[in-house]
Amino acid sequence: MSDALLNPANPANVFACRNLHVFVKDGDQEKEIVRGVDLTVQRGQKHALMGPNGSGKSTLAAALMGHPSYRVEGEIWLNGERVDALEPHERARRGMFLSFQYPVAVPGVTVANFLRASLAARRGTEIPVRAFRQELNEAFATMGIDPSFITRYLNDGFSGGEKKKLEILQMLLLKPAFSLLDETDSGLDIDALKVVSDGINQASGPDNGLLLVTHYQRILNHVQPDVVHVFMSGRLVRTGGMELVTALEERGYDWLTDEAAVAEGSRT
Amino acid sequence: MAETTAPAMAPARPALDETLLAALAAAAGDESGGLTRRLAAQVRYEAAETPSRVRHLWRFTDPARLLPMNLTAVTGAPGDVSHTLAPSVAGAAATIDLWPGLPPVVALSDDLPAGQLTVVSAGETAGSPALAADELFAALNEAAWNTGIGLAVADGARLPGPIHVRVHASAAASLPRLRLVVGRNAEAMLVEQHLDGGPETRVTGHTAITVGDGSRVRHAIVQVWGQGTNGHLSVSTKAGADADVLTVFGVFGGDEAKLEVRTDLAGKGSRSEIVGVTLVTGKQHGDVHTTHRHLAEHTSSRIDFKAVAAEHARSTYTGLIRIEDQAHHCEAYQENRNLLLSDRARADAIPELEIHNQEVSCSHGATIAPVDPEQLFYLASRGLEHGEAVSLVVGGFLENTMAKLPDDVRTMAEAFVGPRLAAIREGSA
Ligand SMILES: Nc1ncnc2c1ncn2[C@@H]1O[C@H](COP(=O)(O)OP(=O)(O)OP(=O)(O)O)[C@@H](O)[C@H]1O
Ligand SMILES: [Mg+2]
Repeated sequence: MSDALLNPANPANVFACRNLHVFVKDGDQEKEIVRGVDLTVQRGQKHALMGPNGSGKSTLAAALMGHPSYRVEGEIWLNGERVDALEPHERARRGMFLSFQYPVAVPGVTVANFLRASLAARRGTEIPVRAFRQELNEAFATMGIDPSFITRYLNDGFSGGEKKKLEILQMLLLKPAFSLLDETDSGLDIDALKVVSDGINQASGPDNGLLLVTHYQRILNHVQPDVVHVFMSGRLVRTGGMELVTALEERGYDWLTDEAAVAEGSRT
Repeated sequence: MAETTAPAMAPARPALDETLLAALAAAAGDESGGLTRRLAAQVRYEAAETPSRVRHLWRFTDPARLLPMNLTAVTGAPGDVSHTLAPSVAGAAATIDLWPGLPPVVALSDDLPAGQLTVVSAGETAGSPALAADELFAALNEAAWNTGIGLAVADGARLPGPIHVRVHASAAASLPRLRLVVGRNAEAMLVEQHLDGGPETRVTGHTAITVGDGSRVRHAIVQVWGQGTNGHLSVSTKAGADADVLTVFGVFGGDEAKLEVRTDLAGKGSRSEIVGVTLVTGKQHGDVHTTHRHLAEHTSSRIDFKAVAAEHARSTYTGLIRIEDQAHHCEAYQENRNLLLSDRARADAIPELEIHNQEVSCSHGATIAPVDPEQLFYLASRGLEHGEAVSLVVGGFLENTMAKLPDDVRTMAEAFVGPRLAAIREGSA
């Protein structure tokens, strides 16, 4: 990568973070979950992030979105602008998006009302009802979700797969600049995985970027990431291409643990 | 040696005398027998103990703050009241305005078939429920009510629309009294809207409903008093055999307000459902009590009460389910959920079960919780500002209870809830 492209303020980079540390409260103490992450996603790029359970992937994603229960050090850049001091809703309005590993239910709030409010917030203007209906119908068709879901309460009683589809439906509607997709493929059957992958591909283009957190090769075959990162114990320990995914499928994470330990040892 | 406890300060009670009661009876259009009943109630009022703060029912609210400060015979029309006239319910069979110190103003719909609805005395107690409301307030209301109406629905009648009663708290001491007597196999709906009231207004209201065998009655009581008004409203309903009763309430206005809803399932096979919503903010104090008393076999009752407390407000709930020993094969269910919108808001929930036989199915649940921060984060991650996210969550919390309200009542409740949600959205609540 050229030096100019390493500059997070370069508008060719849709997203970047620098020396990112994330801490959670642990009794009277703090526990460091993310321990210094540097990442740059160029416009048009798709990055994958793989790592063992509990390594801090969801913490990283939620902290980037601005989850209030974390303390964050370091820089977060979106579209060449610092956003780490912004509230989550301000990051969202500027085009950051998080597809949740476990989307929460909001009983009593219909999918339609929620989507309309989200869309108005993202676009900064109310959406006329008819135009909204049309956009909604198209997105529902793309994601293969029954239109009757628009009157259901948000994620309330949804199956795991239905929740994940609705997350990607939101990605399609909100047209984010940079999407964090946290295990959007987990728990999906083969057909749903195809629909979700197609949705992600449809929402991706030369102007935006994404970071896809996953445990499985299957979705990566559909989405074809440009860059693959391995994340362990709060750090990026390896960056490469699809060949890294094949290696992980065959060998697991242990060999990287050893390498990471060696790397860490050599640094001190 | 410790001192003996100081004698409990008896709260100031407004004094009653015969001249005053006679004047009240005359002004309210209470007919000739009225004074005798009022004098009898005065004796009960003077004998009634001040409700004990030790008992659950009054643990959270000081009764003295709800009593009228002093009683005078208001007469004549209140001043300018045009601004307080709430729209009448569409298709109402009857629209009735109750102003303290005036006889009721009754407008009957042309669609109302003759003989289905008759106006009777509000004061009469014969045929009113066995289940007493809190004695002090009940006796005070019975002795000194200064506006009221009694309505009788004939056997087999199907009223073409609801009876809409606008109860105006337009006097410093407003004591409205309503009575609804529904015959057998009839259908009726009563919508009671408690409006107006300003600083220093005190309301003591009572509503008694008798539902005849096989009848279906829907009763709504929506309290939207103005700021500064304190008061106590009680509803006593008695359901006959196979009667079906829905009572919905909304407690929204005033400063300190207590509502007691008591339903007796007196007839075999009767059913009662109570659905309530309250949304309090600022320094408001809302106190709701419900009682379902099962006196007969095969009776069933349900309660769904949702409360939202914002800012410094407090919402308290006590709910009693009492199943008498002869009332076999009963079902009773009570649910109370509370949502707190600030660290300083408070809610209390005390369910009480008194079950005197084993052949019943009875359950209850209560929750008190702040807005779930994960819900707020999810909504924020979609671009919603804090206030907007909170108002969505609050609207959603109330939604499935609001959905149980009859349309007209829902409209009435929404007229109040809507602006409050808007205030939350703008961050001013
Ligand atoms: N608020 C918190 N308080 C305490 N510990 C936390 C908190 N949030 C995360 N953790 C801990 O941080 C670690 C990383 O969790 P995280 O959910 O980010 O892992 P993950 O990589 O997403 O795992 P998975 O693959 O299972 O989804 C875990 O050990 C978790 O228990
Ligand atoms: Mg995770």
